[in-house]
Amino acid sequence: MAKTIMVVDDSASLRQVVGIALKGAGYDVIEGRDGVDALSKCTGQKIHLVVCDVNMPNMDGITFVREFKALPNYRFTPVIMLTTESQESKKEEGKAAGAKAWVVKPFKPEVLLGAVAKLVLP
Amino acid sequence: MSTNTDFDSSIVVTVGLAVAGALGTVLAGWSRWGWYTLLWAALLLAVAVWSVLRHGAGQSGASDSSVEQYLQSREQFGDAVMPVWCRHIENSRSQMEEAVADLAGRFSNIVDRLDTAVHVSSHDDTRDGQSMTEIFTRSETQLGSVVTSMKSAFSSKQAMLSQIKDLERFTRELREMAEGVASIAAQTNLLALNAAIEAARAGPAGRGFAVVAQEVRHLSSRSAETGKNISNRVGLIASAILAASEAAERTAAQEDRSMQSAEAMIEGVLHDFRAMTDALVASSEQLKQESIGIQGEVGEALVQLQFQDRVSQVLAHVRENIEALPMLLREHRDRYHAAQILEPMDAQPLLRELQKTYAMAEEHAVHGGSSRTGSAPAAASVDEITFF
Repeated sequence: MAKTIMVVDDSASLRQVVGIALKGAGYDVIEGRDGVDALSKCTGQKIHLVVCDVNMPNMDGITFVREFKALPNYRFTPVIMLTTESQESKKEEGKAAGAKAWVVKPFKPEVLLGAVAKLVLP
Repeated sequence: MSTNTDFDSSIVVTVGLAVAGALGTVLAGWSRWGWYTLLWAALLLAVAVWSVLRHGAGQSGASDSSVEQYLQSREQFGDAVMPVWCRHIENSRSQMEEAVADLAGRFSNIVDRLDTAVHVSSHDDTRDGQSMTEIFTRSETQLGSVVTSMKSAFSSKQAMLSQIKDLERFTRELREMAEGVASIAAQTNLLALNAAIEAARAGPAGRGFAVVAQEVRHLSSRSAETGKNISNRVGLIASAILAASEAAERTAAQEDRSMQSAEAMIEGVLHDFRAMTDALVASSEQLKQESIGIQGEVGEALVQLQFQDRVSQVLAHVRENIEALPMLLREHRDRYHAAQILEPMDAQPLLRELQKTYAMAEEHAVHGGSSRTGSAPAAASVDEITFF
């Protein structure tokens, strides 16, 4: 059975691009437009990994990760931050929130897939 | 501008006349009126100062009004222009986002269809875990077995034909035996005839012997008849066997030709099948290679499509900064109202706000004056991932 990955990004095209890369590698993908939308879709189903942007309207990525990791079902679900942000201070915020990796856009699909394969839950 | 010049020259003339008058009064009237000249000179200077102050106050009131009008018009300018600029930027940004999302969706479809085509091709190439080549090899072996079975059957028929030819030899022997029986019958008949003659010569004593001789003649006659019948039957059988043998030979020759033809046809079919299999395998392999190539190209396209996200962010940051401009103009005007001092416009607070929104290194670079016109930044490589 295919593993499920949640992609959270306010850019529809980025969600498409990430979705193409992940679906091509055999993963199922669910999408969130921002932190609020993504949290509303975390209803207890198994999510093996989350790929999340940082700068988003309504709820930014760092806040989302903090709230997502506070949900009992997703405490151990790994999160990869995928963002144009490359400042060390932002990375530290992501790490403190519970993210497991930080990938800077633009990304190569194989690079993202490498990080996903390394972190995705069994 | 001319009003200011007129104002300045009238003040200069007034002050100049007052100072000159005061000095002249002091120099001319000191010896005669003493301290009164100083009072008069002071009065002249006081009038000059009052005149300057009066003109100055009038000018200040006019200046306040024009500054207010200017600040107001500047604010109105900002309020009018800013929303239009922002709408254009936002419209362009959303159009670009929709177009790129659509483009990415089309790429997604291309990749899906390509995957399906390759999957179908691979499935066509493989049946129940066997490749086309394996199927061909198995078919070739099975058809080879068929040819071998046919050859074996043909060999068996040849053996049967040989046995039929052996029967011909037996019929010849039977004919000779039948001829032997006829010869024995003729000899026996001759002996019986001699015995009958001798019995007749013996008279009554040879009567019994004559009966025996007569019976022997009958037997001889029947033997001759039987021999003749056997010979006839053997002749018929020999003819039948010969006809069967000839028919079998013709059939064998025809079967031989048919088998050779079938063998050649099977060989031809296998050759064609082999060519088709090779072509299919080559085509499938080529399709796979093309698919890998196209997927690589799509991967590169996906990297390039991410430009939209960066450009969209930059446009959003610039739009937010432009939206802050009218507020900045209002604050500037409010500060003028409060302090009655017209401060110069300072771009730094606005630029600092813009700078705070930057997420990308290239935004900082462009802000600092770098006029990059090159390609988009390279995609992150493996060592640019930070694992926590």
